[in-house]
Amino acid sequence: MLAGVMTFVGLSIILQVIRIQTSPEADTFRAWAAQNAEAVQTYYPERGLIYDRNGHLLAGNKTVYEIGVDLKNVQDKQAVAKAVGTELGLNPDDLYNLMAKPPSNLAYLILANYVDADKALALQQLKNTTDQQTPSGEQSSLSGLIFTPHPQRTYPEGALASNVIGFVSREGRGYFGIEEKYNDLLAGAPIQVKVPVDPNKAADIPQVPNGTTLILTLNRDLQAATEQILDDSLTKYGATGGTIVIMDPRNGEILAMASTPRMDLNQFWNYQTIYDNASEYNPAVSMPYEPGSVLKILTMAAALDNHTVTPATTFLDTGAYLIGGVTIRNWNDQAWGLQDMLGCIQNSLNVCMAWVASQMGSQNYYRYMNRFGLGHATGIDLADEAAGRLKVPGDTDWYPADLGTNAFGQGVATTPIQIMMAASAIANNGRMVTPHVLYALVRNNRQFNVPAQYAGSPISTNTAQILDQMLATSLQNEASQALIPNYKMAGKTGTAQIPVVGGYDPTLTNASFIGWGPVDDPRFMIYVWLEQPSVSIWGSETAAPVFAQAAQKAILLLNVPPDNIRSQVAMP
Amino acid sequence: MIRTIHGIHYAYKQAPWRVQRQWISTFLLIVLGLAMIAALYLDVSARAALTGRDIQNLSANIIAIQQSNADLETRIAELTSNHAMETRALALNYQPVQANQVQFIIVPGYIAPQPANLVAAPLLQPSAPTIRPEFTQSLLNWFDQRLRTPISVSTLGISQ
Repeated sequence: MLAGVMTFVGLSIILQVIRIQTSPEADTFRAWAAQNAEAVQTYYPERGLIYDRNGHLLAGNKTVYEIGVDLKNVQDKQAVAKAVGTELGLNPDDLYNLMAKPPSNLAYLILANYVDADKALALQQLKNTTDQQTPSGEQSSLSGLIFTPHPQRTYPEGALASNVIGFVSREGRGYFGIEEKYNDLLAGAPIQVKVPVDPNKAADIPQVPNGTTLILTLNRDLQAATEQILDDSLTKYGATGGTIVIMDPRNGEILAMASTPRMDLNQFWNYQTIYDNASEYNPAVSMPYEPGSVLKILTMAAALDNHTVTPATTFLDTGAYLIGGVTIRNWNDQAWGLQDMLGCIQNSLNVCMAWVASQMGSQNYYRYMNRFGLGHATGIDLADEAAGRLKVPGDTDWYPADLGTNAFGQGVATTPIQIMMAASAIANNGRMVTPHVLYALVRNNRQFNVPAQYAGSPISTNTAQILDQMLATSLQNEASQALIPNYKMAGKTGTAQIPVVGGYDPTLTNASFIGWGPVDDPRFMIYVWLEQPSVSIWGSETAAPVFAQAAQKAILLLNVPPDNIRSQVAMP
Repeated sequence: MIRTIHGIHYAYKQAPWRVQRQWISTFLLIVLGLAMIAALYLDVSARAALTGRDIQNLSANIIAIQQSNADLETRIAELTSNHAMETRALALNYQPVQANQVQFIIVPGYIAPQPANLVAAPLLQPSAPTIRPEFTQSLLNWFDQRLRTPISVSTLGISQ
């Protein structure tokens, strides 16, 4: 009998199990289980970091908090509004009204976002204390407050290299500079993923990778020094703005790129109060201008390489040259008499250069300018690069006179980085380098270095070396303010009148200087551009001494020994 | 003959209560075996669930620690920023060096510092899966796989 009872009980249990599994309610329970099998979770992967070439952090991430309330669990809206308002400096009445009349169908309300960790943790501590003081079984007056940490972009160096780095908006998108150019690599945008709740499926938890870390070619200390030099020069020479770029002409690595104005990247919302348009953010790559006499080095390079002239070729400068119906005159409206090509460069003679270009012919001249990259973007890895403008025969707005004016840098628009790329061919034995700001990528604990890219050889090695010496000699001969003791430098000044409606303003100029050194083993190339200096309009008196200051800093920070020391090391 | 067979059968037939006891014993043994297997399964499942929970908690901890690391790295960067270092240097009466104050000396074999390499050491890459199938399969799946796997000569240890 006992066996029968036990058997009956066992069979009943089994039947009941089968009945439950096959009942109509079972489908409902299975649907509930499936619904709750996964939870939607928001992941905030860290945006990749940005370092300078020596490992100094330029852009990182910090934890900020989103303060919200679960409207179903809020017991005392007044208390919550007062606590949040007091700790975060917000208006408690506004917060209360927000909770009292929330938008329809909202169960969760955000009271504040991007709250600094110290303030958020203080508020969290207040909530914890309140919870502990609440009798067991009751909900505290601050119940319903929810703290969600997430990363926010931060820039420990403030405004340093702001023109190059760019910034990240609250939506996680990069604007300008490196942040925009490499936005997809840096990533870090929040994503929503379905995560299994079942602990037996813990292995299925998605691993959301962080963004790629970037190492830039910038030297932080040289960048800071360059920015200081630029700021001081604007004050000293009364310029309205300026740019200084320092590049390694052997491989195109940008060591420093300073422009004005700059902004604290941690307060990126001030962008519109500082800049009128996007091209002002980084004039070194985005703002083409008529470079003036610095472009003469390219004209001379082309003429030498094309065998139109040699360094010994002479020209009788009468102070005027007629080309295409336009009379070209020198910077001082004077005649300079018999000059060789060194004299033409040293004295920066517009008449001579126009003659040289006309001797080359428009086809040859513009072929070389095209090979130097004028009128084309350099491809530098920064956002919003401008291509400038080089009018060529065949364009509806090209006239024969342009051959003469382009020869000395008028009627053509270039950016500083374009001139630097072109001039790198002279400094680098004929081999032109592509400027770049990215040194390496770091991902999955592996570093990938970016190799140098070469943009062709517009001139021969022999031409480059000849012109290199000519430019060094011309600086020495005129005792240029660009010279620095114990180092042989090569370079060229530029003073370009600024075009206005109907012609050029004789009182306003863009003063420029491009130079590099040491000549026998160039470690740096520096471009200086001062906009509308008021103390003196001439590049030789404003941009040239700024070049010297920047060069002295570069020598110190890049550890470049003087010429006599390097020659001893080079001797076998 | 039939009477002899019946006689022998009756002589060796067990008492009914003995037969009952045998049947009950057998049944109980089967139930006991099933109970032991069920208990073992529950024990393993419970431990797997607990471990899964630990993994979930550790995943959340990893994220929190990563955020903490980022905060600390940012803090260090702020404390060693160019502006901060310059301020501290000036406060300690350091002066910016001028080019004419620097003396270069030739050091044979000197290697100039190279740009940063942020990767300290390569991660160990295991050449084979580190989790054996016995730890990821259910008991039934494991049995099924073992039954399906052909018996190899090497498994039997037979040498030729």
